[in-house]
Amino acid sequence: MIAFDHVGLAYPRGRPALDDVSFTLREGSFTFLTGHSGAGKSSLLRLVALLERPTSGALRVGGVDYATLRPRREAILRRRMGLVFQDNRLLDDRSVFDNVALPLVIGRFSLADIRTRVGAALARVGLDGHAADYPTTLSGGERQRVGIARAIVARPRLLLADEPTGNLDPGISADILELFLQFNASGVTVLFATHDTGLLEAFDFPRLTLAAGRLAASGASGESTAAPTSRRRRGDPG
Amino acid sequence: MSGERQDPATSHPVDGRGPDWSYGRRGYALARSVRQLASRPIASATTLLALGVVLALPALLWFSVGSLDALTTRTLDGESLTAYLAPDVTDLDGAELADTLAERPDVTLARYISRDEALAAFREGSDVGDALDVLGENPLPGAIVVHPAADARDDASVGRLARALDEDRAVERVQVDLQWVRRLQAALSLARRAGTLLAALLVMTALLVMTNTIRLELARRRPELDVARLLGADTAFVYRPTVYTAALLGALGGLVACALALVALALLRGPSGELAALYGSAFRLAWPAPADLGVVVAASTLLGLVGAALSLYGSSRQNVPSGA
Repeated sequence: MIAFDHVGLAYPRGRPALDDVSFTLREGSFTFLTGHSGAGKSSLLRLVALLERPTSGALRVGGVDYATLRPRREAILRRRMGLVFQDNRLLDDRSVFDNVALPLVIGRFSLADIRTRVGAALARVGLDGHAADYPTTLSGGERQRVGIARAIVARPRLLLADEPTGNLDPGISADILELFLQFNASGVTVLFATHDTGLLEAFDFPRLTLAAGRLAASGASGESTAAPTSRRRRGDPG
Repeated sequence: MSGERQDPATSHPVDGRGPDWSYGRRGYALARSVRQLASRPIASATTLLALGVVLALPALLWFSVGSLDALTTRTLDGESLTAYLAPDVTDLDGAELADTLAERPDVTLARYISRDEALAAFREGSDVGDALDVLGENPLPGAIVVHPAADARDDASVGRLARALDEDRAVERVQVDLQWVRRLQAALSLARRAGTLLAALLVMTALLVMTNTIRLELARRRPELDVARLLGADTAFVYRPTVYTAALLGALGGLVACALALVALALLRGPSGELAALYGSAFRLAWPAPADLGVVVAASTLLGLVGAALSLYGSSRQNVPSGA
């Protein structure tokens, strides 16, 4: 699903954000992306989300080589991904329904589809009954759930999460992660950036660890090979 | 949406949905732009008023240009050259000369005014008519009033006609009454040129107001634009609400300009009519036709779109969403 081949990302007049990063993530895998602040986690996610282009190396996502991707197709490709942010990026001037519906409006879904999918997405994150609420009236955990509902409403094959539990209490963080695991169980590839040691210790999944822009540790042979839901919370049976 | 429960506190449907039409891409853009304007009523009203005031003068000039053209044409139609005859020319000779002149192709009408007619007219139109009695005899000459043909009212043609009259032995002096009309035309032409220049400057001011407003709008909407891009929106989707906002501001600003120009026209019609009456003219500023109002609104809308294009040109080249 995601293949980095000696990828580098450098900004003008700055040290490289990523340097010679290589790894492969299989479709349907769940992978933690870890590292300290400034290690390059967000830069890596920005590359996958087409918000940046590599300055060296090759990057393929879903079989698409980003080097040959025409600019007009960037937006189309981005619609096939779900993005979840630490600050959830909700639009406070519109209802939960309208926040979650936005990717569907962008994707030209019919009104009937929008109604059905938004309702289903809110139900999946446990927020049915909150469609008419405004984000400012919700708790931090609820806001993040709305962000997740928005990310999965168009049923993407790839979910990118940038510290989605960064501002949440540990108990709520585990609940949020459980949501991602449910999506992963249905075949969605998940790349979950976090430096929450509590989550990393509690859940045993392949990790890509970045340090100063370089891949410090990863699954065997630099490849994340986790099968969907094959490994869960440490201590769980199976 | 009909039949859905409404939250009495917010009047929003309890399921959080907006109107059905707002979930298409263009409907979404229209809903966003209307909401942007409605969410800041004072700022929106101030912007509309500023646009209206700035565009009111160009609109007023546009509405008046037809009336001013009619003024100069009508005045030329009524004006003439006057050939004053020598004292020894009899009424018969004068009338015959008028008939001869009337047959010229560059003359539409030539009328002889006898010395007695001139005296009677002078007595009627002057406060000093009785003073002529002191002179004992009529001192006024006979005259022929010559109206040039429509295609002979340019300076060269009028000059040729005046020279031809002057060369006649019976004519003592020729007075070109069209001269003051030409002065009026020159003054109007100058006023029109100055008005056009001022209008152009005001239109440019309106364009700057619009461009600045759209830039502020883009800055305010930056978080929303970033989120839309992150969710896969293309450039058209991201900027369409801003283009609609600019078009709405332009159209509404044009309507305000029309309203202000109509008020100004109403205030000017009376005094301008009185002034024209003093010069014996029936001139009055005419009310604009609905098409004229449409032209102003359309031009203002176009101005908004140009302002949006100028603002978006720079913005679209530099915006890369942050996040992820």
